[in-house]
Amino acid sequence: MQSAPTATDARSPSEVVLDRVTHRYGSFTAVQDIRLAIAPGEFLALLGPSGCGKTTLLRIIAGLMRQTDGHVTIGGEVVDALPPNERGAGIVFQSYALFPHMTVAANIEYGLRARGGMAKAARMAMVERMLDLVRMRDHAARLPRQLSGGQQQRVALARTLAVSPTVLLLDEPFGALDKNLRLGMQIEVKRLQRELGITTVMVTHDQEEALSMADRIAVMSEGRIEQLGTPEEIYDRPRSLFVANFVGTANLFRGRLEREGEGFAVQLDAGGRLPVASPGPCSRVGPVSVSVRPEHLMFVPPAQGLLVATVELALPLGPTVVHELALDGGGKVKVTLARTGGHACLAAGMRTGLAVAPCAPVSVFQA
Amino acid sequence: MTAVPSDATAAAVPGAPAAGLPLREWMLVLPLAVFFTAFVLGPLALLGYVSLHTDVSLETANLGQYVKFLGDGFNRGVLWATLWLGLKVTLLTLLIGYPLAYLYSVSTPRWQKVLILLIVLPLLTSAVVRTFAWLVILGRQGIVNEALVAIGLLEVPAKLLYTPTAVVVALAQIELPLMVLPIITVLAGIDPNLRQASLSLGAGSWRTFLQVTLPLSAPGILAGCLLVYASSVSAFVTQTLVGGGQQMFMPFYIYQQAIQANNYPFSAAIAMILLASVLGIVVATNLLARRMRGVVNG
Repeated sequence: MQSAPTATDARSPSEVVLDRVTHRYGSFTAVQDIRLAIAPGEFLALLGPSGCGKTTLLRIIAGLMRQTDGHVTIGGEVVDALPPNERGAGIVFQSYALFPHMTVAANIEYGLRARGGMAKAARMAMVERMLDLVRMRDHAARLPRQLSGGQQQRVALARTLAVSPTVLLLDEPFGALDKNLRLGMQIEVKRLQRELGITTVMVTHDQEEALSMADRIAVMSEGRIEQLGTPEEIYDRPRSLFVANFVGTANLFRGRLEREGEGFAVQLDAGGRLPVASPGPCSRVGPVSVSVRPEHLMFVPPAQGLLVATVELALPLGPTVVHELALDGGGKVKVTLARTGGHACLAAGMRTGLAVAPCAPVSVFQA
Repeated sequence: MTAVPSDATAAAVPGAPAAGLPLREWMLVLPLAVFFTAFVLGPLALLGYVSLHTDVSLETANLGQYVKFLGDGFNRGVLWATLWLGLKVTLLTLLIGYPLAYLYSVSTPRWQKVLILLIVLPLLTSAVVRTFAWLVILGRQGIVNEALVAIGLLEVPAKLLYTPTAVVVALAQIELPLMVLPIITVLAGIDPNLRQASLSLGAGSWRTFLQVTLPLSAPGILAGCLLVYASSVSAFVTQTLVGGGQQMFMPFYIYQQAIQANNYPFSAAIAMILLASVLGIVVATNLLARRMRGVVNG
């Protein structure tokens, strides 16, 4: 924080607590009974498909809409009755919502003028600091429409940060950027968030974005939090089929969970027997679905394979190759191989055995 | 849809080049261009030609009619009164129209349907009918006078009709849709997130309105003002019937000189002067608006 003097110096990051927050639009329940505590300085991603209630939840925290039930606490204070500007939460919109008739500098200054109590010179100094923070000093006199998408987003961030929020809310912040620019901005936002140590809630439907940026992810579906955890927990130990499918790619195999010695094994319907030391989240003997990530499957000679399959397609993606295979017992499977060591892709039509990499996280769900 | 019409179209397309006339995009403007030339540019040129003559027989061409008009205090007064009337009507329409358009933009779709009907309804009746309605409302035995006398606010009916104010009020009502519709269009195009961004940055509703919504609706305000202005300075029927000839405006002056005095060259010159004045004001307003960078965007 010493390296980047900003308005947030004065304020310490706030804790955000959602206590049984529910919101209904008529008879439709958009978010239901959300309980969530976001630690000061934490970066939390709300991840889910469109319509899962994540944006509604963000707007409730921002104060742009009032929840039907439950309470929002920011920095220890219940803010349900407070208007957006008194909550200390700053929001960056998906479309950036820059004022099109104001210059970059005027956009950044807007919040400071609106709040009042700051002399012109002090406001200008703050604008300069914000321009430096987002590296837009050379563009201060431009209008938003003269900027690229990434530049507009930096201005939107600067405008929000200028009023020293204790909580930063990001609504699909990278949705409008093309892929190359997106990675650059993700790194930049992450850097800013670390430097300022500001509590941040980001809404996204992009699982890679959530995995790469957030300290913790709340995966949402149909107005509820399906799972809350670190990116590793979410990815390696999904608690439901929905999470396994939504975050990353999952190969699902149907089978039967059975006891085997000290541990368990799954007798797959497609043939083969997969030992599982400690099955989870379901550990009840009976019919199950097993989820294995594509990068946790390996090609082995057919005779040694857990399953046998025929290669149908190979998609080289640069650092990795994704193979799609047809299982002998029916069904498709995806296998991702790193291209280190210059592996060639397997040609279509080749038969191969499949094995699960040792120690690979495997999830077992009740079928 | 049966297969028959689509077969017919398929047959017509290869047939088109065979007709020998290659279709070019510019040909699509031809019908309008012909219509415009025949019924707008042609008559206008004729009007200009007639106005350049001092005598009714159109033999000697000079600027005499213009010199006569502009050299006379009474004539200049009529021109000034007309332009001033347009300004008053425009301001009153804006004052009533903007809140109405704003109300529309923040209403639920259900109320929007009701409001748009109320806003457009006057357009569905002719200006003459609406003018007569105002005669009924403002007359000595009209609704307003009867009501004011009945509740005891007035001893005798007041003179409401045939006053300059009556003309302004009636015109404002009649031209209102021309103001409201462009503003509604512009307000609907403003990203609702801008308002929310402003509120979350700490601005109140008034600041948000004055610094975000109002400046961004300037193009609509400008369009509405120009439409209302141009329309109200030339509103012959309303000016004449509601004004009752108490004050002379340019359209009636043109009518009087052409039809009553049979002085076509002079009335043509008045028409040209009115046209040039309104055109001048429209162009000047546009230029001014363009120079105010940041207020009118785009």
